Amino acid sequence: MRPARLQGVPQPRPRHASLNEALERAAVSGRRGLTFVAADETETSLGWDAVRSRAAQVAGALASLGVLPGERVALVLPTGADFMDAFFGTLLAGAVPVPLYPPVRLGRLAEYHAATARMLQLSSAVALLSDARVGRLLGEAVRRAGPRLGLRTVAALRDSGATPLAHPADAGALALVQFSSGSTVDPKPVALSHQAVLAQTDALRALMPDDTPEDPQLGVSWLPLYHDMGLIGCLLSAMTYPGPLVLLGPEAFLGRPALWLRALSRHRGTMSVAPSFAFAVCARRVKDEEMEGADLSRWRLALNGAEQVSVDAARRFSERFARWGFRSEALMPVYGLAEAALALTFSPPRSPLRTVPVDSLELAREGRVRPGPRALASVGIPVPGVTVEVRDEAGAVVPEGVVGRIHARGPSIMEGYLGQPEATRAALDGGWLDTGDLGFVKDGELVVCGRVKDVVVLRGANHAPQEFEDALEGVKGVRTGCAVALGFVPLGGDGEELLLLVETTPDAGPDLVDRIRAAVAERTGVRPHAVQLLVPGTLPRTSSGKLRRSEALRRWTTGTLHPPARVNAIRLVGAMLRSALALARARPRPHPEPET
Amino acid sequence: MATELEVLEVIRSIARTELEMERPITPEDDLLRDLALDSLGLTVLAVGLENRFRVKLSEEDAAGVQTVGDLARHVAGRTGEAR
Repeated sequence: MRPARLQGVPQPRPRHASLNEALERAAVSGRRGLTFVAADETETSLGWDAVRSRAAQVAGALASLGVLPGERVALVLPTGADFMDAFFGTLLAGAVPVPLYPPVRLGRLAEYHAATARMLQLSSAVALLSDARVGRLLGEAVRRAGPRLGLRTVAALRDSGATPLAHPADAGALALVQFSSGSTVDPKPVALSHQAVLAQTDALRALMPDDTPEDPQLGVSWLPLYHDMGLIGCLLSAMTYPGPLVLLGPEAFLGRPALWLRALSRHRGTMSVAPSFAFAVCARRVKDEEMEGADLSRWRLALNGAEQVSVDAARRFSERFARWGFRSEALMPVYGLAEAALALTFSPPRSPLRTVPVDSLELAREGRVRPGPRALASVGIPVPGVTVEVRDEAGAVVPEGVVGRIHARGPSIMEGYLGQPEATRAALDGGWLDTGDLGFVKDGELVVCGRVKDVVVLRGANHAPQEFEDALEGVKGVRTGCAVALGFVPLGGDGEELLLLVETTPDAGPDLVDRIRAAVAERTGVRPHAVQLLVPGTLPRTSSGKLRRSEALRRWTTGTLHPPARVNAIRLVGAMLRSALALARARPRPHPEPET
Repeated sequence: MATELEVLEVIRSIARTELEMERPITPEDDLLRDLALDSLGLTVLAVGLENRFRVKLSEEDAAGVQTVGDLARHVAGRTGEAR
């Protein structure tokens, strides 16, 4: 059996030394730049030359305020010209932009203040840039975190009359910080250098078709710019290319998904990327009359990533929009993570969706791939410059067809988590990134099938499980600290959903599941898909008593999550022997015996 | 200017068609606790109301809006301002 190691083609020669240099070149390229689409479909454009000159103005203002090269500047801005001014202005000041997410309308402000303050502290941002509207809501977070230069509006910086500035940047210098999850619990600031970001955009460029006069490439995106896929995959890819990009705000898409497809049609878009749930949402919510006269036949790269790809949702989308010229070969599942700047693997362009039929029980129980009713999408082969290995728990590369942890090495891997050496050591070893995802190699392609790291990915956004577990605090009938939150993909669903496994106390009451759902929805804004109540002691723990989330999920999936057997000396010895064996073999693991 | 009742009807229709909720919706329902709206659901609802009533709902509106009734009152008030 071949070892599960996949190698991308060699990294292309870097085209730019820094993002700053790339922006200078885009500004003089004469190529089309950005177009912003509002919710009523009115449009405004901003050429790359204007992006550059406005950014230089903001950079001058930042420098005169006292922002030093290398310092972090946080931004909370909706998709629009202000975001560009703040992001590229920070870069041209030689400083490091840290895009953070804006508050949700009608959303929970208390949690938002806490999360934003935490991210400002973790990134040691010296200033927070916003606009007048959003800025009104940021006072609390700024008070708590106390950035040296406080809160500033982009308009004030742009109009300050400072001398424009365009600082060069070193390839190895820090270019930007992006958070791998935006919650109050454990947000991780991913630090990326200029060369890492550029290696990623170069790799993506190598996979894209060439521009010709008859066949101009044009990207369309509604993805948030505080997320790697929108920021690096769309905006910085277009800027370094350089070429046109049509941008919609995420809330415009969520409010009316047809706006995305209509923009693709109107602009003859050739590329667009979105998480799996977006394809499901379109298939369900876009109405025929909204698509009247639309033509999606020019859309050749419909990248699907940021969360586990739902094969069902992808097929529903293809079938639904075939009438308007959408070609099913355009759908390309991709895989990556913030720690790798963005993408690690891409499925081959213009080929039918490749799926691997698996028996999910067997997959979870034995970690082996046997044919079954569930279809998993192949996420293809490594992007240029990247090597991917699937390893067992001892760190050895497994054979093809065996499940293990996905590790990756390549030029776009992060420097580390900013200011968190311990977390960095846990994720990076000798240049290899432990993705914390589970997968296997089949017919020379990677398939992602689960996760060992403690993250729940919902609609493309990462959440720490503690966020949901903490929401159970004070719910009568829940054993304190004895619940785990997990992500799982229901059969036939749109994508990953939230599962809660909860140990109960004797005063649980018949309505406990409803009360748990309500508490989690109210405190976190996420509705649990499934809540499973358990007898105390059922959840697997480490020897030190810590809950083992991924093992709990494995047992739940395989139907082996059983209440503890009564403890006696003989059982205890038996259990110890089994766990010693389990360590030696790593997989397959023995299961606890059901109560007899 | 829209009445609270008109806004309530639109909230019900967005809940049914866009959010695929099957339960009946009353003004007393808490947006977060009873309807269990997540950030996506809240955005869909806010943008739906904005498009229908030509008003702009801001993040600040979150402060006073807890229930479906609060939201209906708030939007109805906003449509009054606009005219």
